[in-house]
Amino acid sequence: MLHGMYSQLRAQISPVLWRHKSASAAILMAVGMIPLAVHAEENNAATTQQACYVDGLSEQMQCGAISVPENYAKPDGKQIQIHYVVMPATKPSNRQEALLAIAGGPGQSAIENAQGFDRMLSKVRQTEDVILIDQRGTGQSNQLQCIGDAFDSALAIDESLFDTRVETQKCLDELDADVTQYGSLNALKDFEAVRAHLGYQKLHLYGVSYGTRMAQLYMRHYPESLATVTLDGVVPMQQSVLAIGNAIARAFDLLIEDCSNNQLCNKQFPDLKADLDKVDAELTQAPKISLVPDPLTGEATKLTMTRSKFKGALRMALYSPATRSLIPHAIHQAANGNFQPITGLYAMSMDNAGIAMGMHASVVCGEDWQRLTPELREQTNQSYFGHEMLKTFAESCAVWNMPAVDASFGDAIAGDIPTLLLSGELDPATPPSWGELAMEKLTNAKHFVAPYATHGVAYQSCGNDLIADLVETGSVAELDAACLSEDIRRNFYLNASTVEAIPSDDASKPDEQTALNQ
Amino acid sequence: MSNKIISMIRKELIDAARDKRSVMAGLYYAVGTPLLMCGMFFLLIGQLTSPEDLNIKIDNAKGAPDLVKFLASRGITHGESDAKDTKDIQLIISDEYAANMAKGLSAEVTLIADASNEKLQNSIRRLERSLQEYSGEMGSLRLIARGIDPRVMQPIKVNVKDEATPDSKAGMILGLATMTMIYAVFISGMNLAIDTSAGERERNSLALLLSHPVSTWEIVIAKITAVTIFAMVGLVLTLLISKVAYSFVPWQELGFAVSVNTSFIVMMLLVGLPVAIMAACLQLFVSFMAKSFKEAQSYITIVLMVPMMLAMAASYNIAPEAIQWLPISGQMQALIEFIKGRELPLTQIAVSSAFTLTIATGLAIGMQKSLKSEKIVFGL
Repeated sequence: MLHGMYSQLRAQISPVLWRHKSASAAILMAVGMIPLAVHAEENNAATTQQACYVDGLSEQMQCGAISVPENYAKPDGKQIQIHYVVMPATKPSNRQEALLAIAGGPGQSAIENAQGFDRMLSKVRQTEDVILIDQRGTGQSNQLQCIGDAFDSALAIDESLFDTRVETQKCLDELDADVTQYGSLNALKDFEAVRAHLGYQKLHLYGVSYGTRMAQLYMRHYPESLATVTLDGVVPMQQSVLAIGNAIARAFDLLIEDCSNNQLCNKQFPDLKADLDKVDAELTQAPKISLVPDPLTGEATKLTMTRSKFKGALRMALYSPATRSLIPHAIHQAANGNFQPITGLYAMSMDNAGIAMGMHASVVCGEDWQRLTPELREQTNQSYFGHEMLKTFAESCAVWNMPAVDASFGDAIAGDIPTLLLSGELDPATPPSWGELAMEKLTNAKHFVAPYATHGVAYQSCGNDLIADLVETGSVAELDAACLSEDIRRNFYLNASTVEAIPSDDASKPDEQTALNQ
Repeated sequence: MSNKIISMIRKELIDAARDKRSVMAGLYYAVGTPLLMCGMFFLLIGQLTSPEDLNIKIDNAKGAPDLVKFLASRGITHGESDAKDTKDIQLIISDEYAANMAKGLSAEVTLIADASNEKLQNSIRRLERSLQEYSGEMGSLRLIARGIDPRVMQPIKVNVKDEATPDSKAGMILGLATMTMIYAVFISGMNLAIDTSAGERERNSLALLLSHPVSTWEIVIAKITAVTIFAMVGLVLTLLISKVAYSFVPWQELGFAVSVNTSFIVMMLLVGLPVAIMAACLQLFVSFMAKSFKEAQSYITIVLMVPMMLAMAASYNIAPEAIQWLPISGQMQALIEFIKGRELPLTQIAVSSAFTLTIATGLAIGMQKSLKSEKIVFGL
């Protein structure tokens, strides 16, 4: 049986604000989907720390855990372990400071993404320790995951036939946790406890995607512990993440515009918008059922191509520039009845998730669902994804029963901590306008928009150098964002194999091309 | 220690300090070597690391605009071949690149470079890595476009757990540094050793000293102690200057850090003391054997080759097992283990230090005997 939260993920209709691993990453390293062993025997010890290794990195790190109450109002009640990893600086410049990198989701494990953080923050790591904490409810820190056992039938399911309420209830019954304690504010107390435990006076923060909410809360509640803050793919406090539907629609429009402005893409796919609408309309009427080789096992398997799978796969492909470049080809093929590229993209997005859906629900239901105003609800309902999300969360949040956060939770963050905000113009989750919104009351902040980046600017541009500069100088005054505008755009896939202009079969062509090259 | 010996040590040290030139000559090494080493590493790091913007020659760039753009995003761009900062690496994109790519075949590029050129190696590797990354990314997307999960292309996932610590990665460099530090023990006391033996004899003050009511043993011990003190002062200076100077080198660009920390300094001083005593005995013995000051200088230079070679053998790990028990090489190896954060091999230190002290005692006895011979005292 499939679990509700699980099917929700399958259907790709949660507001997921994570950084999508690139396609190449999938081949260079296995995706960290295997749940890490939970160390039950460590429960008695308050703190432990030892040398360890994390997935994808050969270097020795320091791992440890601290014990915190699940419910801070009952300090003697149930204790949970918050696991952290310290990636040591190569040549420490200041042992009193470190950079804390906060993952997205909500529900991603920071430790499982250590390799990505390490590569992106390599310059920072030359002189600063980097801390990764598995936020409560994710990764090794009492993960709230609802694992379904119907993984192989994911391609066959028709998402519209699911009873989210029943499945969510089943998931809730299986979890051994007070799910109402897994919101951002409690997690923030854990973060500060880890900082104090490790003995750092000041932290530099890097938050990506949902991690920017955690970083902003840190700015609100413990400004004295912070040296600098970087928000990458900003979710402003004033914004409910459920409003993401409009951002997705915007990113689709930008993609179609990009293709029509690109000579090669426009020539190959002149009717992209019509193709997209055509497939969408067909699938809205009825899903297409066919027999395909399973993307992983190669065995013949039933594929129910629903509108939800089609749009969900395309949406997730928008997260990374690499998969984004395949979208026009995928749409065009689908319009011609070939759903192979869509199936491939769908399989990618399925396995790249690694999101703890229980924790995801605790955050979204407590902090985003209940503050939707009727107007915003109306507006969100306009878009396909907004509509689907509202429908699903209406059912799952009724089961999850999270108390709403105070209204003041949504106030703009004020302060003068040096803050760097990064937005990607092509971002399908957190558009640049959200970054502007977060700037409202920040007096010492700079917001840069990378014109060719999607979600997670620092991973795709020189944004990581800006972070290294910020950490080194401790000020946003000198940051020069000119390099963000460098044209790093890559070509779109013109068929299933190439991104370069396809030479015509004309016999004279090779000579012509050599002549051109001389 | 008797008062006589202490006053003789004072006499030796005052004598030595009067000859400012030879004091300075000994200390030049202690001060200069760490600085020179740092200067060398500064240059080396600059030479070995690939520049942020790597300019190479790209032929037929128009044949693969997307690849060229990808390389540019990795900081690798086409530079004019006569430009000074263009590396001697050539990348040729084949004429059929686009045609093969479109058919789903392998598109060819050719990399031409001299792999034996150390200055290019990092840049070549960086280019290869970037090309592989591009190829891997395209390969994955080609599979996705065919409805296949790219993970099937990676049947084996290799998890490497590197047991090296940041300190042990620096082992090679610290091994070299340790060698120069051990050597400081020999060099710093050398001038004094010659001056107080062969020099004293040439100035005819040795015979005078022997005519005083002191035993030859007391004379020998006083001279050894004075030379040892000089050697140790040299070692302390080398360590202190290394501690400061090494922290300025941008080691992080090589991916590790070299730090001369307090525990290393303490360890070095403890291990260095027996070596310093032996060095003093050896140098004094050789100088007494020599007929003149000049001769002593040349003998000592030759004799110093032995510890030098032992130290080298230890730091490069090129010699047979037996050297781990020998003086100097044994202590060196133990120190390198200590630097790498491994367990300190106490037996090794104990045996090699005992060996060192035995040699020192033997030499001291020899010296004591020889000071009773007229041949030695008058340099006949």
